[in-house]
Amino acid sequence: MTSYHFDWSIIPQSLPTLFKGLGLTLEVSVITIILGTILGFPLATARMSKHEIIRWPAQAYIEVFRCTPLLVQLLWVFYALPAFLGVTIPAVPSVCIALTANMTAFMAETYRAGMQSVPVEQIEAAQMLRLSRISILRHIVVPQAFRQQIPTILSIYVSLFKDTSLVSALGVADVTFQGNILSSQTYRPMEVFTTVAIIYFVIAFPLTLFTSAVERRIISSSTMGAPPRSGGFWRQLMPGRRPVIPIPAAATTPGAAGGSAGGEPVAGDQLLESRLTSLNPQGDPS
Amino acid sequence: MSTQEEALEQERPASDHFMDLSGITKSFYGRTVLKRVDFTLDAGEIAVLIGKSGSGKSTLLRIIAGLTKADDGDIDMMGERVVIGGEYQKTWKAARDQVGMIFQNYTLWPHLSVRQNLALAPKKVLGESDKVIVERAERALAEVGMAHHLNSRCGQLSGGERQRVAIARALMMRPRLLLCDEMTSALDPPVAAEVLGVITKLKEEEGIGCVLVTHDMAFAAKAADRVSYFEEGVIAEEGDPRRLLSEPETPGLRKFVDAVRF
Repeated sequence: MTSYHFDWSIIPQSLPTLFKGLGLTLEVSVITIILGTILGFPLATARMSKHEIIRWPAQAYIEVFRCTPLLVQLLWVFYALPAFLGVTIPAVPSVCIALTANMTAFMAETYRAGMQSVPVEQIEAAQMLRLSRISILRHIVVPQAFRQQIPTILSIYVSLFKDTSLVSALGVADVTFQGNILSSQTYRPMEVFTTVAIIYFVIAFPLTLFTSAVERRIISSSTMGAPPRSGGFWRQLMPGRRPVIPIPAAATTPGAAGGSAGGEPVAGDQLLESRLTSLNPQGDPS
Repeated sequence: MSTQEEALEQERPASDHFMDLSGITKSFYGRTVLKRVDFTLDAGEIAVLIGKSGSGKSTLLRIIAGLTKADDGDIDMMGERVVIGGEYQKTWKAARDQVGMIFQNYTLWPHLSVRQNLALAPKKVLGESDKVIVERAERALAEVGMAHHLNSRCGQLSGGERQRVAIARALMMRPRLLLCDEMTSALDPPVAAEVLGVITKLKEEEGIGCVLVTHDMAFAAKAADRVSYFEEGVIAEEGDPRRLLSEPETPGLRKFVDAVRF
């Protein structure tokens, strides 16, 4: 191992420049998060449409943004928009457009997964109570889907915050870009980029802790209303083991395996019948 | 069905029964689940559908509920023809308002409290005031033996309590017919008996009819007015529960009764 002598004396005078870059990083992150969170919902709805003419373009959009690198998307939007629209867009709006387009695709898939996780029986029960489609979506599907997907959504936010570092490749003066400039000026890349990494970590780590706490809370509340871990807010933020989901005694007794609590065996053809019925495309005559 | 046949169907006088199904046929991906099934129900009657899994009884229930569309067949409800040749008519909407359904799995909305579960549909569909809704919700919960649970969270309730709240929620829409699809199959026998007792009470006190898919032969023998045995998409045997369950005529029902008796 080569001996490298750290010189941290250049960091205090570099901090104002890094914080200026951090301001732009946060600005791009917040704009993208807000727009992506909003635009993801109509895209998810289009992705689940029964009309192919709506569903297919939505699916194609999502797949294009999921299956190509973010850096390529940033470069493509930066160079393609002036070519197609004939207008030159400054770098910051350009990266906001590209990041929003990317995040919208991921948010749409997250929303879709959440909405499809709501059991179909709950929706049919609502139909039997004559609730309208909009009421079902607003009061039953979306609240549960959003709650279910909060940890995933927070993880996407954290990823996006880190991924904004790619905008430095387009000359956008974010914290990574400023770090790059400072390392060239001071010849101290290790110190500068370690500081840059610490800045990202200090912001992202509380968010990941918060995500874990939310996830634990959701798991706790899904286990027959078991209370969340006690010990106050800060203790709940700390990483810990997942709560153990209690197994009903009946399910552990011999003979109960593979059957319901009432002793009724769950036959394959019964499951097939219910599945076929739930998949029936002409199910709703109203 | 041709236009001429449809016109003839419409001219045919509607049934005197509360509900009359004739020639109900349904296939899923080439597999015929119901083969020209006829079924009637009088007002306030409790009918129990029994049969092996996959015999078509749940599908029939879903067709009555309007959750699954029949390929063919007619349905009359309360003197109105609501389905002709599998097609739902305009009269269906008014008939559907009289029907409530309880499912096999607990279908309470878990993110809402018991009060919110009971209040959502009356508020959004019937446009009732909060005061009226609370009064009716307390009454409905009392009817199913769940008084004092208005402000409980769904997660605090046991399986049997959840099914009883599901019945109360259906009652909030003032149905005249309840469809119950294996609603006690996930419950312990004593709890199942309590839930099924609610159905008997609703018939006696409110005159609410019920079509149940259940494997609870004790309930069928005690409380049902009629039992229909389904076999491979047809009603193979039907009649008084005490006779049907003690002296089954078809070999299939004999085998079925022997299998569930202990």
